[in-house]
Amino acid sequence: MTGGNDVNGENRGVGARILAIRGMPQVITVTVGLAVIFVIFGMLNENFVSARNMRNLLRQMAPILIIGIAQSFVLLTGNIDLSIGSVVGMSCMISATLMTKGVSPSGAVVITLIACLLIGALNGTLVAKCELPPFIGTLGTMTIARGIAQLVNNNHNTDSIGEGARVFRNLFYYGEFGGVYSTVWIAVILWSIFNFILSATGTGRHIYAVGSNIEAARMSGVNISRTVTAAYLVSAFCSCVVGLIACATGGVGTMDAGNMYELYAVAASVIGGVSTLGGQGLLLGTVIGASIWSVLQNGLILAGAPVAIRNIAVGVIVVISVLLDIIVRKGKWAGKKKTA
Amino acid sequence: MLAELEHIDKSFFGVKVLDDVSFGVGAGEVVALLGENGAGKSTLVKIMSGVYTRDAGTMKIYGRPVGDITPREAKDMGIAIIHQELNLCSHLTVAENIFLGREKLKNGVLAKREMSAEAAAVLQRLGLDMDPDAVVGDLTVSKQQLVEIAKALSANARVLIMDEPTSALTAKEIDDLFGIMNSLKSEGNRGIVYISHRLDELKHIADRVVIMRDGRFIISKKFADITMDEIISNMVGREIKEKFPRVLRPRGKKIFEVKNLSAGASVKNVSLELYEGEIVGVAGLMGAGRTELTRAIFGIDPNDGGEIFLDGRRVTINRPSDSISAGIVLAPEDRKKDGLCVRLSVRENIALPNLDSLCGGAGVVNRAREMKMVGETVKNLAIKLSGPEVNAGNLSGGNQQKVVVGKWLARNSRVVIFDEPTRGIDVAAKVEIYNLMNELKKEGIGVMFVSSEMPEIMGFADRILVMCEGRVTGEFMSGEATQNKILECATRFEGKKSGANRAT
Repeated sequence: MTGGNDVNGENRGVGARILAIRGMPQVITVTVGLAVIFVIFGMLNENFVSARNMRNLLRQMAPILIIGIAQSFVLLTGNIDLSIGSVVGMSCMISATLMTKGVSPSGAVVITLIACLLIGALNGTLVAKCELPPFIGTLGTMTIARGIAQLVNNNHNTDSIGEGARVFRNLFYYGEFGGVYSTVWIAVILWSIFNFILSATGTGRHIYAVGSNIEAARMSGVNISRTVTAAYLVSAFCSCVVGLIACATGGVGTMDAGNMYELYAVAASVIGGVSTLGGQGLLLGTVIGASIWSVLQNGLILAGAPVAIRNIAVGVIVVISVLLDIIVRKGKWAGKKKTA
Repeated sequence: MLAELEHIDKSFFGVKVLDDVSFGVGAGEVVALLGENGAGKSTLVKIMSGVYTRDAGTMKIYGRPVGDITPREAKDMGIAIIHQELNLCSHLTVAENIFLGREKLKNGVLAKREMSAEAAAVLQRLGLDMDPDAVVGDLTVSKQQLVEIAKALSANARVLIMDEPTSALTAKEIDDLFGIMNSLKSEGNRGIVYISHRLDELKHIADRVVIMRDGRFIISKKFADITMDEIISNMVGREIKEKFPRVLRPRGKKIFEVKNLSAGASVKNVSLELYEGEIVGVAGLMGAGRTELTRAIFGIDPNDGGEIFLDGRRVTINRPSDSISAGIVLAPEDRKKDGLCVRLSVRENIALPNLDSLCGGAGVVNRAREMKMVGETVKNLAIKLSGPEVNAGNLSGGNQQKVVVGKWLARNSRVVIFDEPTRGIDVAAKVEIYNLMNELKKEGIGVMFVSSEMPEIMGFADRILVMCEGRVTGEFMSGEATQNKILECATRFEGKKSGANRAT
């Protein structure tokens, strides 16, 4: 085709090539939105852009990003994971209970991880193998996991996990490396690994394919249940890590840790352009989505806004960002129809 | 003229898709709007029905000039469009669908009985034996299509636009549809615009043909005054000599054999063989179990017994990945539902079944190898696209089909099964698909295709298998098959001499 060569990838600049990545335009749109919010808060309160606040902001953002990664993986397969928040709570309670009972922190982490991954495997089995609607299947495990969180210490929050857990607490929350809190490093490392899996491996490609068209994927030899289960395992793993961070932060196990996180995770994902219908979105978008979420929370607190206002603002942003995406895409849809 | 469009221009993002097109439909006539995919037919009728607005030109409805209209206004003026993809609520009843958006109320509540009765009247006028309270999702596709027509009529549509209404119907159902169209026409106050790729249907219904090409109006002629060859050459802008480019090859050794395969209620004890150098066509009516047979061979649906042999060796197939690794692949019937991830790129679609060979030890996709494979496939199959990153859903039907086939040819398959490979694609693309199948045949690959188009089966297959009720009821070499013989086998229902009345 004449004039078609410029989009073939060989003769283009880096910018054009990045723009050509599917989902990148949405990410750029929300990044502009993030910049605007950032500047507004910077002007409202000079403390907002202080180094100290930035360090704190990043640390507040890290758990949101990690559960955002969790939910994004599941959303990309066209499913949803409602058990994220409860697995966070379960992870927090199991690890704290074990440590107060004298188990070493490393042993506690391993046992907690296994328990959380079992929930992930159960989610995968219910949704992919038993073909339960994901909303129902994970609603069940959400309640089960919260129940386990309450059960492990006889329906009480735990006592302090004690001095022996200092390394654990530094590793997950209080420590620093290169001037950046360890929680942030955990988020960066997890994001790098999972972004690589999603964008460069066969498993990642299968996740997009299953979310885009499950029948076509099946007919192409993709193992559907393995792919969906993998996504739920990633979700459970990330939720587990956030639970450990919660435990390290407070030094106690709290039964309602992670409450509502599954929905915050949906918000971070969709603000960043991950489609709830599956098959569409980038993990880079989830970073921006989690950033917008955290900047709003942090900035509004600094501006002295009460909780009620914060809730309303976040809700409005979720709706606007998805609305914006739909409007942008409708413009494109009209264009696509020219080939019909 | 009921509707008249003159000198219509329309561009999308700077690309002109309609260039000075004029078109009209009068009362009591069926106008066949013809053209290859991308000729601008759909855009034109979408302007008529208010989905798009025109950039330039005039539009008159019942002789009155109209400005930009919305779909709602078009509907209120009596212009109804029946899309290729049906737009019905499958959970609602026939009557509820017919009155959707203009429900009748009595004292503020739905007048269900009235709507039901009125729906029944419309259905009866169409000569349809259908319960207005039946749930639409339970009906066959053809019945659903007729519900769409009933819906348009009950809303007093005077211009009925039908976009490829027959692509999912059997011969008998098409006959019924044409009967209805002809009786609507004879009432004298309605006009029908008919878009189809099946040129052989025109003789039953078309009064006039309008041909478009590359967004331009080419010709408008009484159907009686134009030959089929003229129609085709006007559509493609060049002469297509052979409709079915057959390549003759001596029959070689046996490649593939299915013995006594059964699957559910639709495939019963089927045995078949494929040889090098031949293309086998599978004919039959809708519901004969042909698609189910391909799905059972490929391992999508579980089978209840039977053996499959490839090059003399028994292969066990429990899931698609088994047959893919054995070298048996399937290009399914419904491209958008089963064949393509329409929102993923052409590159990702072609790579999807080949990730096993494209991934290194750690499961990481080798991008260089992937680009090479995609580039070669696009080149070999002459897939027309601006780049490998475009979404598969943005391609024309013919190019989509090439992507579906291309992803399989990128690996060394031994047997390629096509289910309705040319459904919904234009004449030129059809020939390209035939040539592709010929290439496979020349390379000694086993080729089998399912088709509901009798001329295609008779004109292209070297050997024809006929199925009825899940069984193979006949086998012919290409020379000895006639339409009647095939039809006789296709209606050989169990326990009945002739099952013509069960053909629906």
